[in-house]
Amino acid sequence: MQKSDNRLTPKDLINIGIFTAIYFVVAFAVAMIGYIPIFIPLQSMAVPLAGGIPMMLMLTKVRKFGAMLILAVVVGAVYTVMGSGIWLLPIGIVSALAAEFIVKSGKYQSAKKAVLAYGVFCLAVFGNYMPIFFSRDAYRSFVIESGYGEEYADALIRYLPNWIAPVLVAACFAFGILGGLLGRAVLKKHFDRAGMA
Amino acid sequence: MTAELLRGDAYQGLRLDPRTKMAMVFVVGIILTAGGYGGLMTYVRPALAFMPLLLLLLSKRWSAAAFYAAAFSAAYLGEIFLLSSTFGILNFILLASVGLFARFMPGLMMGYFLVSTTTVSDFMSAMRKMHVTEKLAIPLSVMFRFFPTVREEYGAIGDAMRMRGVSLCGGKPLKMLEYRFVPMMMCSLKIGEELSTAALTRGLGSPAKRTNICRIGFHAQDIPFLMLSAFCLAAYVRWLIANGGGAW
Amino acid sequence: MIELNDVSFAYQNAAKEGGLLGVSLRVRRGECVLMCGESGCGKTTLARVVNGLIPHFYDGDLRGEILVGGKSVSGLQLHDMAGLTGTVFQNPRSQFFNVDTTGEIAFGPENLGLPEKEILARIDIAAREMNVEHLLGRSIFKLSGGQKQKIACASVAALHPEIYVLDEPSSNLDMASVADLRRHIALWKSQGKTIVIAEHRLHYLRGLCDRAVYLRGGKIKGEYTWREFESIPAEERSAMGLRALSLDELRETRSPASNQGRGTLELSNFIYAYKRGHKTMDIPALTLPKGGVIAVIGLNGAGKSTFARCLCGLNKRFHGTLALNGRTLGNAARRKKCFMVMQDVNHQLFTESVLDEILLGMQRENDAAAENILDSLHLLDIKESHPMSLSGGEKQRVAIATAIASEREIIVFDEPTSGLDLTHMRLVAENIRRLGGMGKTVFVITHDPELILSCCTHAVTLKDGAASSALPLDENGRREMLSFFI
Repeated sequence: MQKSDNRLTPKDLINIGIFTAIYFVVAFAVAMIGYIPIFIPLQSMAVPLAGGIPMMLMLTKVRKFGAMLILAVVVGAVYTVMGSGIWLLPIGIVSALAAEFIVKSGKYQSAKKAVLAYGVFCLAVFGNYMPIFFSRDAYRSFVIESGYGEEYADALIRYLPNWIAPVLVAACFAFGILGGLLGRAVLKKHFDRAGMA
Repeated sequence: MTAELLRGDAYQGLRLDPRTKMAMVFVVGIILTAGGYGGLMTYVRPALAFMPLLLLLLSKRWSAAAFYAAAFSAAYLGEIFLLSSTFGILNFILLASVGLFARFMPGLMMGYFLVSTTTVSDFMSAMRKMHVTEKLAIPLSVMFRFFPTVREEYGAIGDAMRMRGVSLCGGKPLKMLEYRFVPMMMCSLKIGEELSTAALTRGLGSPAKRTNICRIGFHAQDIPFLMLSAFCLAAYVRWLIANGGGAW
Repeated sequence: MIELNDVSFAYQNAAKEGGLLGVSLRVRRGECVLMCGESGCGKTTLARVVNGLIPHFYDGDLRGEILVGGKSVSGLQLHDMAGLTGTVFQNPRSQFFNVDTTGEIAFGPENLGLPEKEILARIDIAAREMNVEHLLGRSIFKLSGGQKQKIACASVAALHPEIYVLDEPSSNLDMASVADLRRHIALWKSQGKTIVIAEHRLHYLRGLCDRAVYLRGGKIKGEYTWREFESIPAEERSAMGLRALSLDELRETRSPASNQGRGTLELSNFIYAYKRGHKTMDIPALTLPKGGVIAVIGLNGAGKSTFARCLCGLNKRFHGTLALNGRTLGNAARRKKCFMVMQDVNHQLFTESVLDEILLGMQRENDAAAENILDSLHLLDIKESHPMSLSGGEKQRVAIATAIASEREIIVFDEPTSGLDLTHMRLVAENIRRLGGMGKTVFVITHDPELILSCCTHAVTLKDGAASSALPLDENGRREMLSFFI
């Protein structure tokens, strides 16, 4: 495994697998708050914030092209099967690709670029909300047909008006940056000092 | 029932190709969590919800099957009961929770069925047969391998916290997160390193074409399940076209 | 078979000690060589050089020439070496890539792309040789540590390597599993394999190894034939920091006088069963000396860990009680009185500095008192360090310090010396004795007779969940205790 080798080695792939597991567990745990519909918008803050720590750690462990992308594909695929809608995976791949180029532009050494990249990466969380905004009528009839009744559906729709969509996008990005900063802080406070980063 | 992801106990139940299982997880997960009511879907949805129970029984996962049957019927009955009784914000929350539970449960149980009856070796060869690159196959199998480990570590750290009298009652939630997550990630890093060395010294990543002792392949028993999956998917797609894209 | 010429290695990450300095070594085909020395002497690094993890996994500065099987390691890839050297690691928990035993044994040959028939035949042979046929097709999460290590041996053997590298393979094993390990090594030796073992525990290697290499500070300080090695006088060997060569020589050790007359601890209803299973612990009543240092011994699966968890009040489904100072303590009360120093101390260190770690456990934060405790455990100099940056022994002392700071009366050690060399084992023993001197009651769960002899006053044997009464370790008691290990 020569230093010049920029391809992912099996060691890197195992590391990515481990961080993907941690990221998945953390993201899943905090995404559970969306179980209660009024808290659905909170996901755009909680998930990026909590995922920052494992992501920042992974970026210091695997300084090569592809780590974020693989994580996005794996987590996105599992979430899709678990019912997040079909948008999460494609949006995840696009934002992860963009994030990959950002960390690459920092030659995988720049902490600032890593934080920025994670902010971009987190835009994928918006994929969860796509059905609500982009096929509003269908979503409403879906909620009604699911057996919740019109009253409930209208309340939910009213609760998430169209203008909130850009707010959610911004929240994903902003809390991604915050999560990234938090991750960097924890890295500095613990992992650097412990000689593990 | 959750500690044995991708477990390998001598498995005596129905043997399906991992690809069949994945197809069914996909179909159950996607269709039940998305929209699609009326027409053919009136029959497809209950059939899919019944699927995890059938498969768990066929694979002799008795306790998981019983759990699913009980939880699902409770959620279903709860939905009917709640729809007709309470009103207001409480109803709103309860109904949503119960509804979501009923919708996500089958997918989760299918996921459990997949990982509890598939070995890493099966999984890797299925991925290879589907021409999925190692760059995805290795992280995926490491991830499944690692879930039980995360659980173990989480439990051990929780023990240590209770022993130290550090608990959420202290009123510093951020500190609690730090105490839990930081040691967990440090231990995971160490385990990851050991896992890597053990795997690499045994030839993981060799350019040789990986062989497999688990004979995967489609057999007679796969056919009905694959056909059912295809049928449900077709019905769903038809419904989607008829309804202009549904709730996507 | 193995040839090292003037090999030096320094880990890139400076936190890791134990590099090599100008090591030259030759191991002939069919030889079995022990590499010994204190922790950090470089024996693990030497093992990593032989199996190719250096330079292919651990980054650092490598000089010199390494030839394994006539080929230069630097020119090979790790996967090229898979059929040449096979490695059994220290921790049975983390060396499994698969979650089923059969898949694990097949893993190596599958990676190398051997034909399916061949792999199945190899699994058969390896399973028979390691005596694990009954474990095939099981989930690894349901195996004991000893069983896992056997599967690990089988999974390495299935690759048919010419060279076996064992890196502290016995660290986490009980007596019965160590005996199994010895049989595996003997078998490989009889097959003409070359074997390199880095190890602290020496007694089980008697009559197996042909040579011993003694390392200190990354250099080879002595090469002995086994006979020469055995003839080193016990005192000199102990000055070299090496563990006992045979358990017989331990018979002469004197253990500390027991503290009598401080009252008793009464355990009652210490009965616990997992769902539907048979009772893993079945102790209706047991009286133990308060202020004693009590060794808890027994084979893996005898119920030692269950005992420790229940004693510390960590098991919610357990309802036994402990009477202490005339008070009967339930789970919650015992959690405040007891403290467990875990086998993996990494689980119980949370903060960013040693001092904070101590303060976290105190009833009322008091810097001066905390520093006193740190001083008594030789931790004052590193009070600002991050606990995770410390060595294993220092981490353990930090955990002990938190127990003292939080004024616990009962302290439980879970395998405190697994994988420790003589010097560090003695340091642990000293700390345990000190706790005894402070009037604490200490439980030491261990497979290490040397540790028991150097700090324990009593021994309790667990067998199938049932406990013997506390045996005072006077001369007769010592003999009886040792008979469990020999």
